[in-house]
Amino acid sequence: MTLAGGAIGFAGLTAAGFGPGNAFAGSTTANLPEINPDKLSAKTIETEVLVVGSGIAGVFAAVKAHDAGAKVLIVSKGRPGASGLTPFARGIFAYDPSTAKMSIDEYVASVSHSALGTNNPIFTRQMAKHSLERVKELKSWGFFDSNLFAESFEKPISERNIPVIERVMLTQLVKEKGKIAGAAGFSFEDGTVYFLKAKSVVLCTGAGGFKPSGFPVCELTHDGSIMAYRIGAKITGKEWNDGHIGNMDRPASVYDQWKREIERKPTVNKVDIRHDLGVGQNYLAYTKGPQHEKPSRPMAKDAITEGGPYRPSGFEKFAPPPSEGYGKKGDHTPPGMGGIPSGGASAGMSIHKSEGLVPYNEKGASNILGLYAAGDALGSHMSGGIYTQMGSSLVGSAVQGGISGAAAAAYIKGKTIAAISDVQQRQIRKKILAPLNRKRGYSPAWVTQTLQGIMIPNFVLYIKKESIMNAALAYVEELRDHHAPMLRAADLHELRLAHETANMIINAEMKLRSSIMRKESRCSHFRLDYPTMDTKNWNAWINIYKGSDGSMKLEKQPFNSWPA
Amino acid sequence: MTIKKIQGCIGCGTCVQTCPTDVIRQDPETDKAFIKYSADCQMCHLCRLYCPEDAITINAEKSIPVIISWG
Ligand SMILES: Cc1cc2nc3c(=O)[nH]c(=O)nc-3n(C[C@H](O)[C@H](O)[C@H](O)COP(=O)(O)OP(=O)(O)OC[C@H]3O[C@@H](n4cnc5c(N)ncnc54)[C@H](O)[C@@H]3O)c2cc1C
Repeated sequence: MTLAGGAIGFAGLTAAGFGPGNAFAGSTTANLPEINPDKLSAKTIETEVLVVGSGIAGVFAAVKAHDAGAKVLIVSKGRPGASGLTPFARGIFAYDPSTAKMSIDEYVASVSHSALGTNNPIFTRQMAKHSLERVKELKSWGFFDSNLFAESFEKPISERNIPVIERVMLTQLVKEKGKIAGAAGFSFEDGTVYFLKAKSVVLCTGAGGFKPSGFPVCELTHDGSIMAYRIGAKITGKEWNDGHIGNMDRPASVYDQWKREIERKPTVNKVDIRHDLGVGQNYLAYTKGPQHEKPSRPMAKDAITEGGPYRPSGFEKFAPPPSEGYGKKGDHTPPGMGGIPSGGASAGMSIHKSEGLVPYNEKGASNILGLYAAGDALGSHMSGGIYTQMGSSLVGSAVQGGISGAAAAAYIKGKTIAAISDVQQRQIRKKILAPLNRKRGYSPAWVTQTLQGIMIPNFVLYIKKESIMNAALAYVEELRDHHAPMLRAADLHELRLAHETANMIINAEMKLRSSIMRKESRCSHFRLDYPTMDTKNWNAWINIYKGSDGSMKLEKQPFNSWPA
Repeated sequence: MTIKKIQGCIGCGTCVQTCPTDVIRQDPETDKAFIKYSADCQMCHLCRLYCPEDAITINAEKSIPVIISWG
């Protein structure tokens, strides 16, 4: 068995780097400057609607904004079809009224029952209502003809001549007089610093994690939410946990876990409401101890255990995976699972669609004029604090992307592009390149490993109690206050890692603070010290925002309401 | 090691563009792809799947310690 770093929890902080010099081969770099930051060129581009991200939400946002008459630009850390979570998903939900055995009203009610009220029924209904149209559109692009999506995503983009800038990490959103004015970032390919001036910005930046192993969170570190938080947007859903587990034999090998999915073409999922992938398996490992042999029966079944996370009536049993797309009959191993269960594969990520910017309306508007979000970057709570419908994450991003793109195109009518002053541009450039200019400092790889050591243990992130979360928070605050400002980069790759690491630290703080605040257990949020559901006090989502003193503030927003 | 080797590269650059974690870069001298930041490989195999020449071999072991929730 691979010796995984599970032991690098608090006890192992020395091993993770807090103690005397301990550089794992390849994990930390010599940090020798390779480029001269003063020589990096700058580029300013103007557009009407800036779409950030090129997953399925970004593609639909760009297409629908363009079709509604806006001049659109896509900027992405990766490339369409090969970045974000989108390239790994294969089941896409469509609610087809001609074959569905329940009405949309019944469907939404059933999702809310499974989600224990944590979902926002407006977004659940919106997803179901528009799903079939989006699936038909994807079909016309050739989405169902290949297991790789670059070609089918490229089709609608090139047909419309929508420009795409790839391999650029945006790190700052720019606000002028309360309105969004654009964004800035850098190319980690050639070092160009980009200023993108826009009338509206649609964040389709996906979710993120603590660069965990065993689930392809890859380049995602909640960049969109954290940039938005920094300029005053509200963020929600950080207490939920995605409970995907890995294989202890090869905990980092995403492909070995997911190849059955990655190698097949996408298929359409029918109505199939579930209560899946919470923290049942984490509770089992916590109370009974880890397993070191492959379970003799589908491990998901073992996740149901006394005293652990409550499962609503009708969902007491873990349902087998859907038949769509699966070759072998009777193969009850859920996608991405199998082998000896190891935890934390997707650490740092909540349930898709339940974390991100707080929506102020059903079109994904935020509290900042002109700033929209969609898909995994929008805290729509479409599914709730648990996965409730296979395939809805993919189609939900498609639906929300389309709606927010069209809304952004409507918003820009009559608006002008705000000026970003030279002084502001210089300040932004300085901030972006700061890690390259530091003569001494911490390597992003080391800080990331240290953060992983603090956050990923089962007894911190998943099976929660106040004392441990407060202890973890003290470590995270140390990283935030002392280490993040001293992150150092030797080259453009490390510059990207430095910004990602800083974002992960803020995400860790958000996860801890909201988990401490939610004094109950529900869906994928489980507290050992408050193991039951508290419907009297906790029929509410938690919104996080930056207070006027710069500190992180939290507030409740009652279920089924819009923010005040 | 994560990505183990790239053999038979034609220098098309597809793998560089499809790697979500920026592990691969193109050598300006040889014009061939090479593994520059192996510690950041997530073993998602997108580079291998998109490579038109089937030139990429990937291992299942990560080159840095893997932090998981229990062990
Ligand atoms: C292994 C796996 C299996 C899955 N299976 C399914 C399934 O079968 N069915 C289903 O419905 N869902 C599934 N999902 C979930 C689904 O893939 C996601 O919910 C959905 O694809 C999210 O799409 P998105 O466009 O909102 O975000 P993403 O696809 O994550 O896209 C985010 C985009 O933002 C870009 N970006 C991020 N930060 C920046 C930045 N700072 N600057 C510029 N660009 C940035 C990224 O590069 C990327 O292009 C699965 C996910 C995984 C990982």
